[in-house]
Amino acid sequence: MKSFEMPVGPLHVSLEEPMYFRIDVEGEEVAGIEITAGHVHRGIEYLTAKRNIYQNLALIERVCSLCSNSHPQAYCMGLEKIAGIEVPERAQYLRVIADEIKRAASNMFNVAILAHIVGFESLFMHVMEAREIMQDTKETVFGNRMDLAANVIGGVKFDIAEDRIAYVIAQLNRLEPILVKEIIPLYETNSSILSRTRGIGLINRDQCIDYGLMGPVARGSGYAYDVRSAAPYAVYDRLDVDVITYPDGDVWSRAMVRLKEVVEAIRLMRLCLRELPEGPLTSGPLPFIPAGEAITKVEAPRGELIYYLKTDGTDIPARVKWRVPTYMNWDALEVMMVGGRISDIPLIVNSIDPCISCTER
Amino acid sequence: MAFLKILFDNLRKGPATEAFPFGEAATPDAYRGKVTFDETNCVGCNMCEHVCAGGAIRFSEQEDGLHFLIWHNTCISCGLCAHYCPTKAIKLSNDWHLSHLQEEKYEQVDHAVVPYRHCTSCGERLQPGGPMLHQLAFKGTNPRSQRLMNMCPDCRRKASYSGEAL
Ligand code: SF4
Ligand code: SF4
Repeated sequence: MKSFEMPVGPLHVSLEEPMYFRIDVEGEEVAGIEITAGHVHRGIEYLTAKRNIYQNLALIERVCSLCSNSHPQAYCMGLEKIAGIEVPERAQYLRVIADEIKRAASNMFNVAILAHIVGFESLFMHVMEAREIMQDTKETVFGNRMDLAANVIGGVKFDIAEDRIAYVIAQLNRLEPILVKEIIPLYETNSSILSRTRGIGLINRDQCIDYGLMGPVARGSGYAYDVRSAAPYAVYDRLDVDVITYPDGDVWSRAMVRLKEVVEAIRLMRLCLRELPEGPLTSGPLPFIPAGEAITKVEAPRGELIYYLKTDGTDIPARVKWRVPTYMNWDALEVMMVGGRISDIPLIVNSIDPCISCTER
Repeated sequence: MAFLKILFDNLRKGPATEAFPFGEAATPDAYRGKVTFDETNCVGCNMCEHVCAGGAIRFSEQEDGLHFLIWHNTCISCGLCAHYCPTKAIKLSNDWHLSHLQEEKYEQVDHAVVPYRHCTSCGERLQPGGPMLHQLAFKGTNPRSQRLMNMCPDCRRKASYSGEAL
């Protein structure tokens, strides 16, 4: 069989984000893969040490668009830990709502792209249209479709008043039936989807642990790790998060985990809206942040996001460093791809829901 | 097959997109759009400039007052200025009609002057301080505080000591 080397990328492998692979191909099969990173390095970690803690809220939110709420959340949690700031209850519930609405929109985006890669454009449109319900909700409640700007140090800067609660619940009531009655059954039974995604991009539970995989990728291989239940933050400990797993570790399982997580996100949002306590939104006007260090983690739509913060008593952080789930998930592509067909590469890449802008920042 | 029904339903529902630019696009009240500034309420604390990640806000001290500049093209609509402004003199409107011609790109700036106050007794220059600040600081005003509020600290002390402000 003839073997050759094939470049894939750096543009538009599956998403409009630059990734570059050199792939050894034998016939139709992938024999080896080499990943080259660094196409969207913007030096954001460095910039955080050049800006004050408030400016960083906006900067950090713009690391990436799809997990844009998780970054400021982890960052604020870090500063609150260093300064010993108690975040009011209402703000904690609102933070969960912001987190879950982003998760719902992010996961739906990824499964929509899956349909697009399969060539099922009308399904892609259908999922994107359903996702638009969440986008409209974000725009109405937070003021923007992607960047919620929800978190500030010590709380949140948005509120959901009584009339807004009714609006958000009505939006969830619109989305849920489309998701549960139309979209999920389609992904479960449609032959075009199943034939392109079942048994493809395999990775098992042990390999997930070896590679330190996170989020829906690991849960799609039966590894039930979720920060929201393993190390709950905000008020997740009261919400009894259902950690969704699928055993098979293929492209399809990862998509199913994401879809079911949207259903779970809807449930969590409902619960938070119902339990939303009265009270202030922030702990006070301007916090003083003493010198210190903190490590925090949150469950971003792609998995565990870890923040390390070091402050020196001024309002410019000495160091902000983060570790994103895509870094490990990306590396595991070599497990998922080797032995697969060339035509499945975009599907497998998409199945880890890569976020290159977070990873390379 | 199941998808055919969905396709048919979607066809029946008609376009899902907004009719813009031929019709109005729905804009929520809370939409974070163009920054507005109210110089009568600004107290010149510079907090908005300090928190602005993009560096869109500039204050400079001039003879006639504090000059405020906002570069709308540099603003990322994060809303931090509005959140941290003690008197809510700076806000985000829901106006998103910010497109303009390339040659107008350096003109997307709003300028305002926050006048200094002058002590009503000795005439010394004072930092700006609108009615909103007094509302915030003292939860309301009375005739006495109104007489005192535009005095410099020295004159204020003298006035309250001599009882003339009573
Ligand atoms: S919204 Fe953000 S970027 Fe715009 S002026 Fe205010 S602080 Fe600056
Ligand atoms: S607009 Fe508000 S934050 Fe900015 S200087 Fe004036 S009072 Fe302070």
